[in-house]
Amino acid sequence: MGADLSLRNTADRRTSRRRPARPQLIRIATIAVLLLFVLFGFPQLLSLYYIDTMTQVAVYSMVTLALGVLVGWVGLVSLGQVAVLAIGAWVAARLLFATAQPYPVVLLEAGLITMAAGVLIGLPALRLRGLYLALITLMLAGAITVVLATVNFPNGGHGFTGYNGSLVHIPPIRRPSIASGDPAYFRYAVIVAILMFALVLAHTKTKPGRAWAAIRQSEPAALAAGINTTLYKLWAFALASFVTGVAGGVLAGAVHYLYSIGFPTQDSITLLAVTLMGGVYSMWGAVVAALLYQFLPALLNNWGVSADWLTILFGLGVLQVLTTAPAGLADQVPKDLARLGRRLRSRARRKPATGSAS
Amino acid sequence: MPPWSDFEPFIVSGLALGGVYALSGVGLVVLYRATGVLYLAFGAVGAMGALTAWSLGQAGAPGWLTWLVCIAVAAAITLAYGVLFGPALAKRDPLVKAVATIGLTLVLYGLMDLLWTTSGGEVRSLTLPSDNGGFSVGQVQVNWTQVIALGAGVVLTVGTGLFLRYTKLGTAMRAMANDREITATLGVPVRRVEAAAWLGCGVLAGIAGLLLADLVALDATTLTFLVISSLAAVLIARLRSITVTFVAAIVVGLLHDLLTPITSLTNYRDMTPFVLAAVALLVMPRSQVMAQSREEA
Repeated sequence: MGADLSLRNTADRRTSRRRPARPQLIRIATIAVLLLFVLFGFPQLLSLYYIDTMTQVAVYSMVTLALGVLVGWVGLVSLGQVAVLAIGAWVAARLLFATAQPYPVVLLEAGLITMAAGVLIGLPALRLRGLYLALITLMLAGAITVVLATVNFPNGGHGFTGYNGSLVHIPPIRRPSIASGDPAYFRYAVIVAILMFALVLAHTKTKPGRAWAAIRQSEPAALAAGINTTLYKLWAFALASFVTGVAGGVLAGAVHYLYSIGFPTQDSITLLAVTLMGGVYSMWGAVVAALLYQFLPALLNNWGVSADWLTILFGLGVLQVLTTAPAGLADQVPKDLARLGRRLRSRARRKPATGSAS
Repeated sequence: MPPWSDFEPFIVSGLALGGVYALSGVGLVVLYRATGVLYLAFGAVGAMGALTAWSLGQAGAPGWLTWLVCIAVAAAITLAYGVLFGPALAKRDPLVKAVATIGLTLVLYGLMDLLWTTSGGEVRSLTLPSDNGGFSVGQVQVNWTQVIALGAGVVLTVGTGLFLRYTKLGTAMRAMANDREITATLGVPVRRVEAAAWLGCGVLAGIAGLLLADLVALDATTLTFLVISSLAAVLIARLRSITVTFVAAIVVGLLHDLLTPITSLTNYRDMTPFVLAAVALLVMPRSQVMAQSREEA
């Protein structure tokens, strides 16, 4: 308890000292302008194809955010996050067909039910650590995928599973009444994503975030400092499952029809790869990862380039991140740009006669 | 419950599948013990070898050459990865080393999808001449490929056990499994022993790829992710004992195929390895879990 308190004190002191500082204000203003541009500029500028793609980016940024919390903050590697997303989408689809509840309520319920499932699975799995935990999540994800392939996603049928194989006219999964069109649904998805990012930020900036950081550094040390490691690890699992479940609910409305082949186990592996590439130590990393995962394939598809090149790129990216740049692209690119800028400036200063071409 | 005679053919196919899982599992355990790397690209390199062999066969190369090329391709990729990335990641956590091999898996997977595309609905197959001959036990036809698969599993498990026990290289590998630093201090050429382990694992991956391409399907996705079934066996053996790996692999293979004729469970048979591994890991006594986690920390 003592160590935990002192941690909080130093953190508070640091934030209170930093609060009036200018860079912080500039940063907040930049983010606000960026968000306003995304919300109102994108639907005006982009074609329908790219609006749909950006909706997917918003959905998957929540998934990579959740995975980033597990990997980057707590040090738990999950190889089964797509299966969790599938559970969220399944629950949301079932509720949307069965009830006339407003969409936000369904999203909340999907998140909570997925959270319950995640905690139930996480409770026994948390006895394991490191490599064993990663592999057990892979095994459980494989099992969930097999069950989903048999049970199928709800398509408007009756009964618990809500699936009717002989249905001819499958009704689409409904969207919220205020956001039935694609641009409106894109805004809806972005706002949900912003709320989820805020939720995660509220966790990482306060006590759970510090407890997670301590656990990541050394679990025995965290235990010795009086941190209830089981509680906080389970908390991280619950938060990640909740956010992923909500993302599943947004995904259900975005695509209208869900199929179990859309959630293969190998996607969990690719998802971990892009999350590591994007960077697990910052929120920007989650956005970068979602862009890599959803925007790049759409772009290449539009250009007629095979998406296989992307798979190869992701593979190389993982190797590069693990060997040289543990904080991912979100950290590396600004640093590299700054270094490049410094080098250009010093060169310009050294040779003023030749002029500053760049 | 269907009659017993319905199960009989599945005992044969299950044992054959179990044999291949066993030899894959043994390769994975030996590499893990010697280098600390859980080689998740095992299936992908096997698939790469099998697809290269298929292309050579299409070009008119004789059968024996294509099989050798299959094994050589898998071994070469594995050795190259081990030599390039092994030392760079040697001091890192086993989890990091395993995730790095996911990087290799993705590179190979993308490459295979690019070179041997299936988007045109193309179906490839690789048949070994041993498919044609065979004998029958009671009412059940057994072909030589199935015999070879189970035989290879048994021979390679026993052979690897003897190799680790009685040869100089095997002793060095066992020493490195205990402590890499001390082994290096004692004058064992650690890098060379590691390279040997990578090469051996690659050869096993090639053999497994060839047999699975014949027994299951010649398809990049299937072969790449079939390694998860062998992983289950390896996990049940707690990445340690090759005997337990062998037994677990046979059980996984047998149980998977024996569920096929039971109509209520046949859709769920692919869950077999996952459920067995999950149960085995979760009932593991807590003390052992903690001891192993500490060892790997």
